[in-house]
Amino acid sequence: MNRPALVRSGLAKLALSVALAAWTGEGLNAEEAKEIAPIPEAVGSLLEKHCLQCHDADTEKGGIDLDQAAIDWSADGAAKRWEKTYYAVAHQQMPPLDKPALTPKERHLLLDFLDGQLSRHTPIGGTLPRRLNRLEYRNSIRTVFQMNSFELPAGFPRDTRAHGFDTVSEALVLSPPLLEAYQEVARQIADDLFPPERKPPPATQRTAGIDDLVLSFSAATLHGDALRLAARSLDIMRSCTWPSKIEIAASGTYRITVKASAFRPKGDQPMKLEIRARDVAASDRSRADTFRLLKEIDIVAEAPETFTFEAELYEGQTPLFRWADAELDHTPESFAPLLGKLFEEPRFLAAWQEMLFPGNPRKGVSVTPLRGRNGWEIFQRHYRDPALNLADATPDSRYTKAALAMAEEIGTVRELGDTLAYHYHENGPALQLHEVTVEGPLKLVDGPADLQRRQWREWNFGQRKEGESDEALADRALRTYLPRLFRRPVEDEIRQGYLEIAKRHWAEGHSYDEGMHLVVRSTLVSPRFLYRESRPGELDQHDLASRIAYFLTRSAPTSTLVLHARAGRLSDPAIRRRTVEELLPSSPSSPMIRDFTEQWLHTRLLPEIMPDERFGFTPEEVDLAKAEAEHFFFTILDENRPLSDFIDPDFLLTSKRFAMENYGYAIPGEKPVHPRTAYTAEHRRIERLPLERGGVRGGLLGQAAVMMATANGVDTQPVLRGVWVLENLLGIPLPPVPNNVPALTPDVRGAKTPRDLLGAHTRSADCRGCHQQIDPIGFVLENFDPVGGWREKWPGIDVEIDPSGVLPDGTEILGYTDFKRWIVDHIDLFAECLAEKLMIYATGRLPSYAEKKEIQQIVAEVQKRQGGFRDLVVALIESRTFRTR
Amino acid sequence: MNPTFGRRQFLRSTTALIALPALEAFSRGGRSARAASADGPKNFVTVGAYLGWHQPAFFPEAAGKDYEIPEILKPVAPYRESFTIFSGLDHRAPNGHNAWSNFLCGNAPGSYSLDQQIADRIGGKTRFSSIELATGVGEGAKSMSFTKQGVGLPLIMRPSVLYRQLFTSKADRERTEYLLKSGQSALDGVLDDARSLQANLPQRDREKLDEFFDSFRTVEQKMGRQLAALDEPVPDPGYRLPSYDPITPNLQMEAGTIMYDLMTLALETGSTRVISLFLDGLGQVFAIDGEVLKAGYHALSHHGNDPEMIRDLVAIERAHMECFAGFLRQLSEKRNPEGRSLLDDTVVLLGTGMGDASRHSNANLPTLVAGGGFQHGRHIAVEAKAKDAPLLGDLYVTLMQRLGVESETFSNASRNLNHLFS
Repeated sequence: MNRPALVRSGLAKLALSVALAAWTGEGLNAEEAKEIAPIPEAVGSLLEKHCLQCHDADTEKGGIDLDQAAIDWSADGAAKRWEKTYYAVAHQQMPPLDKPALTPKERHLLLDFLDGQLSRHTPIGGTLPRRLNRLEYRNSIRTVFQMNSFELPAGFPRDTRAHGFDTVSEALVLSPPLLEAYQEVARQIADDLFPPERKPPPATQRTAGIDDLVLSFSAATLHGDALRLAARSLDIMRSCTWPSKIEIAASGTYRITVKASAFRPKGDQPMKLEIRARDVAASDRSRADTFRLLKEIDIVAEAPETFTFEAELYEGQTPLFRWADAELDHTPESFAPLLGKLFEEPRFLAAWQEMLFPGNPRKGVSVTPLRGRNGWEIFQRHYRDPALNLADATPDSRYTKAALAMAEEIGTVRELGDTLAYHYHENGPALQLHEVTVEGPLKLVDGPADLQRRQWREWNFGQRKEGESDEALADRALRTYLPRLFRRPVEDEIRQGYLEIAKRHWAEGHSYDEGMHLVVRSTLVSPRFLYRESRPGELDQHDLASRIAYFLTRSAPTSTLVLHARAGRLSDPAIRRRTVEELLPSSPSSPMIRDFTEQWLHTRLLPEIMPDERFGFTPEEVDLAKAEAEHFFFTILDENRPLSDFIDPDFLLTSKRFAMENYGYAIPGEKPVHPRTAYTAEHRRIERLPLERGGVRGGLLGQAAVMMATANGVDTQPVLRGVWVLENLLGIPLPPVPNNVPALTPDVRGAKTPRDLLGAHTRSADCRGCHQQIDPIGFVLENFDPVGGWREKWPGIDVEIDPSGVLPDGTEILGYTDFKRWIVDHIDLFAECLAEKLMIYATGRLPSYAEKKEIQQIVAEVQKRQGGFRDLVVALIESRTFRTR
Repeated sequence: MNPTFGRRQFLRSTTALIALPALEAFSRGGRSARAASADGPKNFVTVGAYLGWHQPAFFPEAAGKDYEIPEILKPVAPYRESFTIFSGLDHRAPNGHNAWSNFLCGNAPGSYSLDQQIADRIGGKTRFSSIELATGVGEGAKSMSFTKQGVGLPLIMRPSVLYRQLFTSKADRERTEYLLKSGQSALDGVLDDARSLQANLPQRDREKLDEFFDSFRTVEQKMGRQLAALDEPVPDPGYRLPSYDPITPNLQMEAGTIMYDLMTLALETGSTRVISLFLDGLGQVFAIDGEVLKAGYHALSHHGNDPEMIRDLVAIERAHMECFAGFLRQLSEKRNPEGRSLLDDTVVLLGTGMGDASRHSNANLPTLVAGGGFQHGRHIAVEAKAKDAPLLGDLYVTLMQRLGVESETFSNASRNLNHLFS
């Protein structure tokens, strides 16, 4: 028999019109929806005949008891129970296959009754006060205080998810450790805005001899009482030195004394010694020009000379020394000519060749161990060897050319540059340092951190006007600060309460700053900041502004939106619509795009899945796969493309190399890159690649990210993929998995396919109800390996994959492209599912039955007028479901 | 029987032992380990080297008791009866620097690490449930320890920061006291505001906001306890830090020496029971015994079997081990009130997540366990290729059980080594 379980049949559409009456009528909220509704006799006897054997008060299978004369809608869980019942019957998961099925007439009767009841008795709205989640909390602090690089401290508690998202109010619990973390963040922010007073440290004089200067790679070596620098590379670790035991504790003016000399200078050319301010904690991979230049000194004399100058050094810094005009640089442009000149000496050339290509016949060796002194010693051994082979020491020799080619490749230049550095260390020219002294602070100055703090403070709490009292200043500041922090106008009484905290503190003898420090700490743990949307019912202007802002920007509402809300203009549909359009994500890296796709498509897990080595799928490819999903979602939204493009678009959005390597995408005239070479910036550039519709690639299911997220990096599990597609793309929830289900591991010895093994499931009537929906979808995706590559055979066993199957509505499919076509033909299922996910994410609750009705209605309207995804999102924001808390 | 049996011979006998059914191993070892835990060791310290330990200079040639001390381990030779060397163990984890954290996380790098599993069980009553430290600025692993949720814990690199946390200065105590007291004085104001918010809400919303009030009460009580604790005398360690923090790469050994001193003090004063120390590695160039080495630490680890590169690499690792020897010395000298040494009171695990840095292989991880009251003095060589060969995680189960943590599994391991090592 043909059982159209997946398609919401005409029956559901009929039910919809019944529901519309309730939906368009006077709004029900959670309080009003409660009453006792008797179950009509016909329905009652139907339930008795088909359901009560398992679902009565005694057995209560699955926790469902349907044995009631009337539905008490005010009872806890009533709506949930009857909704479950409705969907289990509508999706033909119940009654189970070994029990008599409902006749079409019975089904109609039961669903019709339940639909009417549920539409009437399930509420619009019902989100609890929502605690800000991690992302919202961090972003809110950035927005409110203009601290754009604020990050949560490590170890800040994680949020739990419900219904697939970490924005759902019931799961966003506030626990004592979280409150402590909030207090800690509050203290840090208060410290930035109103820093506690610090005593300046006493002035000291610290001297670094050559043993206290850092030797990094081959940048410097010690010779007698001198440290020699040889290279000008911008990579500080290849060219610079700095004191290892001097770190400035207080920003100020310091007197720096350097004793330096020139070692075998070329003629009377001065050597330029550059001194910059290095942050001690900065990476050694930093480039010299990212550090502030303090001084340039010309070194001419070969006897040590002392130079003294004053310069500002800030907290955490130390002076960095570089010979800015050295010959040697670790770049191909300068290294190759330099080496070419040295090759003019045949002995040098021959020894260099011997180092790179030793032996007779010559054989290339790995360059890495030749870097630095090791290579130099090998070179010297050959250079001094009377028996050195000079036969190839000609400009035309292939070994000369090969050596020069290596001098033009950035990787080997870095390594061989470190080797050649020793030539300069030993033979000159080199710049010599003998001693460095730092004395101070002579005078304290504001460092960049101090200036930043002052800016934040003035932005958030203003500046004192002449003659203004502490109280007047604080009150004036709180008038703008509190509404910004609490995201709504703040009554005088509440402001007075916080002002009172400061006033009491001042009365105890504390300073203005200390009082404000305490106010900042207090306001940041107020529930008015930590919770959003605190008023039930239809959202007022301010809560609506918050909901829109957190949904679309993942942060607190900003200027335009706040001004509209304060003026009450968000009730004007035209203004509301324009505002929403302005807030829609503007790039694939917008926080909403990333955050939503990571949770909806489970791509947040990708960096943790380590694909098995045999797939050769690198971390860079994992990043690209994830980025593809984000670009794809953004593009469909931004270009207002039809919803069917999610499934079957005429383009790919990934890099050429990724598409060629992983999707078998051919580009005329484009040669494939060797898969073992690293991805360059060009290889990572995501672009739109045209595609014919209807093929394997294009669309969510053909994306590496989705196929990875639904596998585990090692093998695929058809059941998991099937469930994933049902729940996340088609919107068909499944009952929880029964206990004692054996794991499905392919048995290599018996050459049993996963398909044979799964057969066991579908044979048992208990399992069949769900598995006949799950398994065909799981198997049709088996041609995708755990990283989304296409495969024809099951791994480990030499058996051709059979992806064919029968979808529960009777459609026969031969393979993945048939399934893709089927979804496009039933695109409303997908659209409703995506719309529902967006609404869970935005409203922080699972929509009730009545709300799902509204969502379906909206999808139908958008589809009817051939609207795109952007239209859908805007329409959802317009819905009552969205606008009710 | 020849008392000095060869490695092969021993391997065979080990393999035989290991082939015992897992159940039997459980019943024999499990009990004894638990019996020992009543008055067993109470601290756990782990040290991990980012660039590994050069295997041929770490693993003795011979297995059993009469091995010749390998080059890297020479500095700890005086304590050979207090430690055991393990070879042939690993987590069957992926290779490469990215998977380095398999050292403490097992088969899945970045998951709940051994030290955190132990800290969550036994660390709660001390001032710091665990402490995570590092020496040497590197760029590889940013964390060695991971929470249950897989959050990498930040590493303290500056001895001065650790010192301040352990032995709060007067100024710091005054600041903490001020923050706690002023915070308390403002509580009423915040709670009044919260109550005014809650007042007009329906029942369900009020219940949701009760989470806020409940958390506030708990935290308020804790603040009270913290204030009371501030009056307790802070131990005066009588220890002087240098005027600078040795955080530049070339000062890694100096940092190590200081960290081990502070770690000993932390254990001695009961400030914590669980410490991890990460020895990072990048381009630092060391001068050892006045001689500057041929290349940076990381470059040396890619020695490509060049004997001179290996010699210098081994010199660095031996220098690390000299710092570690100082730690073992201090632990063995300090006694608790019952007269037991701090070393017997502490399980020390030294190892790495990288078996061979030159090849980026994470198999056969050099491992050393010291202290903890185990029967030491041997090199336990495991034949990794044998069927059902034990995993490093099996050893970790033994260590956990010794510390009184009732766990039968670690990562991909679900047995223990109690029968080999007790």
